[in-house]
Amino acid sequence: MIVVLLISFFGACTVPLLARVMGRGAGFLIALLPLGLLTGFVSVASIVERGWVRGQGIPWAPQLGLDFTLRLDGFSFLFCLLVTGIGALVIIYSGGYLTGKPRVERSRFFTLILLFMTAMLGTVLAENLLVLLIFWEATSVLSFLLVGFDGRSSRSRRAATMALQVTAFGGLMLLAAVCMIGHVLGTYSMAEAVRQADVIAASPFGGPIVACILIAAFTKSAQFPFHFWLPNAMQAPTPASAYLHSATMVKLGIYLLARFEPVFAATSWGRATVITVACITMLVAALQALRAENFKSALAYSTIASLGILTLLVGLDGPAATVAMVGFLMAHALYKAALFFCAGSVIHSTGQQNLRSLGGLVRVLPITAIACLGASLSMAGIPPFLGFISKEFLFEAQLESSWELVPLAIAVLVNAVMVGVAGVITLRPFFLGRDKLKPVRHKESLSIVAPPLLLALAGLIISLDPDWITRVALRPAVAAVYGRPVEVDISVWHGITPMLMLSFVAVSIGLLIIRFWRPIHTRLRSVDRLDAYSVERLWERGLRGLVAGARGLTAWVQHGDLRRYLLMVVAGTAALILWSVGMADAWPKLPEPGDVRIAPTIVALVGLGGAFAATRTKSLVAGLVATGLTGFSVAITFMMNGAPDLALTQFTVEALIVVLLTALLLAIPIATPATRTPGMRRSDAIIAALLAGLLFFGFLDMAAHGHESAAGEFFGRMSYVAAQGHNVVNVILVDFRAIDTLGETFVIAVSAILAASLLATRGRKAAPGTPAPVHFSFAIVGRGLALLLLAASIVILWRGHDQPGGGFVGGLVAALAFAVLSLAYGVDRAQRSLRARPLTLVGIGMGCALVSGLPAMLAGKPYLTHLWWDGGGVLPKLGTTIVFDLGVYLVVLGAVLAFLFGLQREASR
Amino acid sequence: MTYLYALVGAGMFGCAIILILSRNMVRMLLGLSLLATGTNMLLFLAGRIRSQQPPIIEEGVRTLGESADPITQAMILTAIVIGFALTVMLAVLVLRAWRTQGTVDARDGDAAETLGPPRERDPVDA
Repeated sequence: MIVVLLISFFGACTVPLLARVMGRGAGFLIALLPLGLLTGFVSVASIVERGWVRGQGIPWAPQLGLDFTLRLDGFSFLFCLLVTGIGALVIIYSGGYLTGKPRVERSRFFTLILLFMTAMLGTVLAENLLVLLIFWEATSVLSFLLVGFDGRSSRSRRAATMALQVTAFGGLMLLAAVCMIGHVLGTYSMAEAVRQADVIAASPFGGPIVACILIAAFTKSAQFPFHFWLPNAMQAPTPASAYLHSATMVKLGIYLLARFEPVFAATSWGRATVITVACITMLVAALQALRAENFKSALAYSTIASLGILTLLVGLDGPAATVAMVGFLMAHALYKAALFFCAGSVIHSTGQQNLRSLGGLVRVLPITAIACLGASLSMAGIPPFLGFISKEFLFEAQLESSWELVPLAIAVLVNAVMVGVAGVITLRPFFLGRDKLKPVRHKESLSIVAPPLLLALAGLIISLDPDWITRVALRPAVAAVYGRPVEVDISVWHGITPMLMLSFVAVSIGLLIIRFWRPIHTRLRSVDRLDAYSVERLWERGLRGLVAGARGLTAWVQHGDLRRYLLMVVAGTAALILWSVGMADAWPKLPEPGDVRIAPTIVALVGLGGAFAATRTKSLVAGLVATGLTGFSVAITFMMNGAPDLALTQFTVEALIVVLLTALLLAIPIATPATRTPGMRRSDAIIAALLAGLLFFGFLDMAAHGHESAAGEFFGRMSYVAAQGHNVVNVILVDFRAIDTLGETFVIAVSAILAASLLATRGRKAAPGTPAPVHFSFAIVGRGLALLLLAASIVILWRGHDQPGGGFVGGLVAALAFAVLSLAYGVDRAQRSLRARPLTLVGIGMGCALVSGLPAMLAGKPYLTHLWWDGGGVLPKLGTTIVFDLGVYLVVLGAVLAFLFGLQREASR
Repeated sequence: MTYLYALVGAGMFGCAIILILSRNMVRMLLGLSLLATGTNMLLFLAGRIRSQQPPIIEEGVRTLGESADPITQAMILTAIVIGFALTVMLAVLVLRAWRTQGTVDARDGDAAETLGPPRERDPVDA
């Protein structure tokens, strides 16, 4: 069976390509694929006939309970016959129906139909519920694609979306049900689920499981209140409607219900719900079928009514109900597909489908008319057609079941309406109203008339000679659904029985409906309220509300005000800290107050004062100065607490920030209006103070709990022994944690590239005006200072391994040298004296840093293990660290210069 | 000193937040720079203020004696440089915003919002 699915799938992907090279005949050739599969199924009929079940499985993801297990029993077999048999006819029919379409379109249609066939086969063959779910969803998606086949029409797009929304919703319900079943039983086997139906129903998940399964089935089989998608889905090309929306896919809900009948029957309300829903569906569909204006929607509503009957039969207990369900399922598939084909032929040849404006087509479409007549007689349940037999079973099942007479009365009424609809759709377009005949676009062709005729004939032949089909399909199917073999006796004449009387009643009312169709139809159409309160409208209003709600929510949350976003972040952080502290129920531990040193205290307080001043000042320049003050005081603080490397770096950075931001402030207006009201400022200050207070206590607590850092102790011990360096900070950066540093260097390189691309002078160069006069003080010291700084930066880089310094600081100091030059003589001269583009420096630097780790690999050590050479006593000790640090130096220098030159040039434009 | 440095670090942090919450992008930029400084201060405190001796191994000795914590210093050193790159990057963005939008007010930088939501003419809305 897996082979069957694989053939079907790969065939679906490849065979339709024939339609690209062939013209009209392609349909017949492509139909050989489903026909071949049909033959394959028929060849195993003898196995199914004996009531055996064929199983096959391969493990897929056993940890998840997901195994690709399939099984073929009687019920699946019946579905497989219908799917492949009708599938072949659909393909043949499409070959004739789609003559007006380009070849690419036709090929696409065939592909979708065959893929759909594969998905259907997979669904009915699946034994593992997860596999079933996957194929089930595949049918929904393919139905979406087929309904929306004409993607340029907005109506078919809308119909496709609606069909997908409803059936995919049902698919989600099925997913929920399957997950819950797996949770309860610990297995996803369908047979196991049916066997342990009582366990499922008794578990706390019993109710939800049944509800989800019912919803899944109702959405797929278009039961009330999910029925509205099916009439809309008639936007699909007619062959697709015949295949998906009457013969096969919509019956998957029935399939699911029939399979899980023991499960929902085990709950107290399962059967009652199914029967009630089925009755409402039948009534609504019957009413709408009489109101329907055109051919296809009349058929669609009668399909919904038929699905209601099937649902009702699944809900009823007793063997007769199962026999009736299986019989009617087959009969309906045959005659409804035939009727859809006829409807398609009418639309194809006349281009219109309004029942009131069609007439007299028997003259141009004689064979279609005959096929339509045969199928309609079956639908109306006139002997000796198959529909008659199935209707007899239907009434028998209802009489035998333990239910009240209300469903029976509804069933009789609905059958009467079906008689009426069958009569109207046959008589009016084909046989009545000869005067309405208009010239037709297409005449009948073999591929258009053969499929409906074959199906109509099948309905007749099966009922006259039901032996084979009863033996191989119906009886095993009933046995598979009912759980044990049931005697199925199909014959046209049972004698004068109550069922025959009921049939007679139904046909009589149906004849009356045919006679008075026009007044009934116009009267019903004039009731607008039926449209206004339809579920479809509710669904649309719901969707519109959902979109509006989402839009409102988005506008409320995504207001676009940066300040409020940040406020949320800050306040949220504070709230999280408060909450977690509250949960931990711990008070911060306070450290011992140590001695207070006067000088550091003053420095630190000056820094804090600078920060306060920055928040108070209105001028941006003052703010810059105040921030710089804070930075310098922190640098001094670092220096006074044994961190000369940090102090050096911080000093240089602050100096560079002043230079760079000055360039910015020169370009933008310094005096800016206040952007916050005093109230806002106050609330901002309160929240900031809250977060700062939390941090204050948090860090005090951390300091009080402080313990010796083992890593720090390790680095202190090993830095000279293992890495030949005296300056532990630098050794950590370039050796122990070199990969980290490499990453950070890379970040800086990337930011330089980003800045360079943002600041690239677009199109025009700055006008080469007279260079600005150089200030006297700069003229005297500028060049000397820059040279001095450059020399210092190289010393800092060189001695970094043993003394305070290193690549980062070195690069920053070198950049400072060029900053001085550009302040003194302008950007252009500064850049000329560099003799290279800043990004080139970045690239070379990155290369140095990356290459410096390679020699270690040659020596068989991990990347970035630095090697040392003692210099042979003449030279100072040399190591690959200096290459790494040089790389860092160049990247930092290049990056800062990219910022510096870019900002200054952009600002001076 | 621990109390003082915690107070100063947290104070800088708070002031930085007030600046960041401004809608003037230059003030936000200064705030972010200040935030980096304050955070570095707090990070330095996390390494504990224990010695004024820099973490440098003296000549003739093979291991580090009593000194400040080298790890936090290594971390802060890269943090300073990265924070600097961040600040300057923001300066570039502010300058571009001024050149293209003619404003440094965050509220007016709404070029993306004025484009409207994507798929404005959704069939469901129509």
